[in-house]
Amino acid sequence: MPAWFEFAGLSFLVGVEQRSVSLSGAVDRGRVMLVRGPSGAGKTTLLRVLARLQHGTGDVWLGGRHWHSFAPTAWRAAVCYVAQQPAVFEGTVRDNLRRPFQLTAVGRRRRYDAAAAERGMRALMLPPALLEQDARLLSGGEAVRIAVLRALLADPAVLLLDEPTAALDRPTAAGFCDLLNHWLSEKPDRRAAVVITHDEFVVHRLRDPVFLEMDGGDPGRKSISDVPDQLGGR
Amino acid sequence: MNPSVIPITDFQLALSVILVILTGAVSAALRLGLLRSLLWGTVRTFGQLTLIGYVLNYVFALNNLLVLGLLLLLMCYIAARTAVRRVTNVPPGTTLLAFGSLFASTFLVGVLVTQLIIVPEPWYSARIVIPIFGLILGNSMNGIALAIDRMYAETRARRGEVEALLAFGATPWEAVRDCVREAVRAGMTPTINSLMVVGLVSLPGMMTGQILGGVDPQEAVRYQIVVMLMIAAAVAIGCLILVGMSYRRMFTADGALNLEVYRSRGV
Repeated sequence: MPAWFEFAGLSFLVGVEQRSVSLSGAVDRGRVMLVRGPSGAGKTTLLRVLARLQHGTGDVWLGGRHWHSFAPTAWRAAVCYVAQQPAVFEGTVRDNLRRPFQLTAVGRRRRYDAAAAERGMRALMLPPALLEQDARLLSGGEAVRIAVLRALLADPAVLLLDEPTAALDRPTAAGFCDLLNHWLSEKPDRRAAVVITHDEFVVHRLRDPVFLEMDGGDPGRKSISDVPDQLGGR
Repeated sequence: MNPSVIPITDFQLALSVILVILTGAVSAALRLGLLRSLLWGTVRTFGQLTLIGYVLNYVFALNNLLVLGLLLLLMCYIAARTAVRRVTNVPPGTTLLAFGSLFASTFLVGVLVTQLIIVPEPWYSARIVIPIFGLILGNSMNGIALAIDRMYAETRARRGEVEALLAFGATPWEAVRDCVREAVRAGMTPTINSLMVVGLVSLPGMMTGQILGGVDPQEAVRYQIVVMLMIAAAVAIGCLILVGMSYRRMFTADGALNLEVYRSRGV
């Protein structure tokens, strides 16, 4: 059986100097891929290209289907990118969690699950009373967790997270890791995640990660090593 | 024509230059550095209006449908160019879209007003059609300039929200709907405000002109009401059309936000 989410010969341009990066990788069903590398290596660009928010060439497959055989909106609904800088919409925190379900691509597949939202809030150490609060008043760390939870609830096939724990303390980061592990194991045959992280704690807390190491801006080199290593699975 | 019109003689017109000297004195006293612009502006005002006076005289006398049509198209084009030149950071080709939206909204509303409400004889009477279309264009021009500027500015400012929605599989329309709504609102707000305060704060220029020209104020008011409502309709339609035709251009063929949109180009 092919990997759940796989990219090969994926090329795109990074940074103001438009350095070309090319790489391959794969993540199996129910697993998480951790992307590591120095600043400017193109980690964020990789996720944006995978989500088709930015142009890239090469091949990406989801469940064996080539990305070009999806309509762009359908692809993005399936391969959901969460930016490091969390987006906050007008309204309460609940409005923010429900916002994706107002879109045709998400709303026609599933409905907002209030119970799951509350479970997620608790797992991320956010009091359910926060649901009523104006989302613009959230702290940076709260907004990140709401943005991640919003994506989890929308139930994508692949979740792309950009440094989700950068603004979180140790216990909250642990809550995030446990929630992501749980989310992956809920439907292990049709979910996966790709996570950019510098946080060794996250590396050890997430279950059975595979690694994608991206090198920095050494202009001569273009390839990237894909190290399917098992590091400290719990 | 009307006995109560007091004509302004050449000498009296020349006296208005006293006002320019007053304005110039203010500029000189405060060292505003506006003297050159003021003089040039005054010369242009005299020149342009005198010229347009002759042109209108000629066109009114000629009253030819073809000439009228060409003139209206030219007015549309100048309005479109002026509207787009005022806003920064719009992509090339916007002038064409602005022309299209001004053309559609102005003709729709203008034809409605002249043919159903005013009903001149003949139906293409330049004396009626040109001022009416001019009023519509002048106001729509400002409206669409505000709307298009706001749409790009709002989308740039809300890039994070727009991309987050796209990341959930939103269509371009779903992703920028809030920005588009703000844009149309921005374009229409001045017109709506003017509907609120008209007659309270100032008498509108057209009505003032009619009253000075000797028309019964009650008669002038009727025209003014029609004009205000037609302007509101034309601004709304113009903004909607322009924004509707433009928003998709902020996206790539793949439906992703075009990087150029939020990269401020500067000079």
